Amino acid sequence: MKALLIDDERLARNELRRLLAAFPEIQVAGEAAHARQARERMAALRPDLLFLDVQMPGETGMELLESLEPPVPQVIFTTAYDEFAVKAFELNALDYLLKPVDPSRLAAAIGRLRGAKGPSRQKAPGPGRLAAGDKVFVREGERCWFVEVGQIRLLESEGNYTRVHFDDVQPQLFRSLNAMEERLDPKFFFRANRRQIINIAWIAGIEPWFSSGLLVQLKGGAKVELSRRQAHEFRERMSL
Amino acid sequence: MASSADITLHLADEAQRDRAKMRLYVLFQSAGWGGFLVLQAWTTIAVPEHEEKWGLGTELAVIFMSFAAALLLTHFLRPLMARWKWKELGWRFLLPRLVAMAFAASAVWYAFVGLWIHGVVGLPWNTKYSVPLVLTMEVFYGAILFFCWLCLYFFYHVFDRLNRSEVERFQLMTSVKEAELRALKSQVNPHFIFNSLNSLRALIDEDPARARQAVTQLANLLRYSLRSGQLETVPFEEELGIVNDYLALEQVRHEERLRLRLDVAPEALKLPIPPMLLQTLVENAVKYGISPRPEGGEIAIVARNSGGVLTIQVSNPGVISREEPAGSTGLGLNNAAERLRLIFGERATLRLRADAPERVVAEAVIPLPSHS
Repeated sequence: MKALLIDDERLARNELRRLLAAFPEIQVAGEAAHARQARERMAALRPDLLFLDVQMPGETGMELLESLEPPVPQVIFTTAYDEFAVKAFELNALDYLLKPVDPSRLAAAIGRLRGAKGPSRQKAPGPGRLAAGDKVFVREGERCWFVEVGQIRLLESEGNYTRVHFDDVQPQLFRSLNAMEERLDPKFFFRANRRQIINIAWIAGIEPWFSSGLLVQLKGGAKVELSRRQAHEFRERMSL
Repeated sequence: MASSADITLHLADEAQRDRAKMRLYVLFQSAGWGGFLVLQAWTTIAVPEHEEKWGLGTELAVIFMSFAAALLLTHFLRPLMARWKWKELGWRFLLPRLVAMAFAASAVWYAFVGLWIHGVVGLPWNTKYSVPLVLTMEVFYGAILFFCWLCLYFFYHVFDRLNRSEVERFQLMTSVKEAELRALKSQVNPHFIFNSLNSLRALIDEDPARARQAVTQLANLLRYSLRSGQLETVPFEEELGIVNDYLALEQVRHEERLRLRLDVAPEALKLPIPPMLLQTLVENAVKYGISPRPEGGEIAIVARNSGGVLTIQVSNPGVISREEPAGSTGLGLNNAAERLRLIFGERATLRLRADAPERVVAEAVIPLPSHS
């Protein structure tokens, strides 16, 4: 597994590198001192795993993740003392390490990674398309989530952002709906109208609607209208 | 110092106290005059001395009316005395005024009662004594009554004022203690401690000598920070030493990103400052001037002793932002400013201002203790 270490302190990166020497399956491919450098290194190195400091000069670790083109790699956060961040992670079962890093805690975090399926193991549904198990990073205030694409029921356009519905939350994604449409697997995601994309796997019921349109009800309660043209396309798609 | 919640609480307190005072006043007025009324009525009933009087019913009615008039009269004396600000007078000025007021009130009272019962109701003059004699006696009698009332009234207010200043003194003491406590809490920045420990761990392999030095520096800083809660002031020199330790530790973390310029007048070294003042300013400068900038920057510490004041300036790159990032308001600086004011008085100030473009200066101005 290729890892990138992102921390503004050289000594902190050194320390982590030394600790990671005990785990042969983790290969430290590079280091970055801030968000801009991290984006460059990620483009060049394509890491599977990030060790990411929450507090960094310029952009924070969260802001960096938000700016990344999905799918995001696996992330283990590192933080010295940050109640807010730690709370946000615990809510969403993201992994984090407190500095100075306890080697046994690091071993546990890496153990959990082995269990999780990495993004690279899945076959992409098409060039540039996201697989159902790929993750996108979304944030709402202090809370943040890594959500699997397959778990998203509905995407709604909100200007340059997209509101993503999954579980019982609907945080904002840092991408436009059109940009997301290009990345989603057309086998599962269907453009219902100008503002909404639905996940076909989450459909609970379909009713006929005005002027030969359709009303699609999703699991979780949301209702989405399809115009006559979209309904026609939808019927063709479903009969295939 | 006073948050809006404190102020609201204080106002609620005040309103409650005013209501309590009003209740007490009504109680005193009714009990006092009522008591007199009962006593007088009882005497009239028990000792019917003058046969030529108007009869018991009329007699009682007159007594009742007189006391009702007295109650109303004293009631309307209060706003009058409030307007003349008598409560603020010393007793030497107050006493003659009270005597005069007692006579005036008594004259008004008696004139009103006399006019009413003899003029309006038309009761006959029923004593064998001459009018001037009776009038003089009655006015004297009334004056004594009103004087007693006034004395009671002002005694209460003197007592209340004493009580109140005592309460205020206690409140002040409590707020000082609270400020001390809050200051103590804000002294050790946990983020800094854990980041330093992390760097230290790395340094142990890389540069053992530097690691040993850093442990000592961290120990110095922690010891000083824990102890500073008990001290009112420390020599500037001592605090500067600690700040140097602190900056050395920050330099371990930030390396070439943190640059330092020190310009301290030698005569400033022995002067007293509140503990952790300079430390707070420098910590703030690192937090807002170095940490958020990938390229880092220079922190300058300048201290001057001139014109009877010690001026300490700590500057860092950056601009003053109205909205600080969440969870990191200028609490440290506010606490420092408050402690400075508590120890050195209103003339001591702590201000944050933009200096050159892209440069922020925190400036503490401390008046020197005169010739000590």
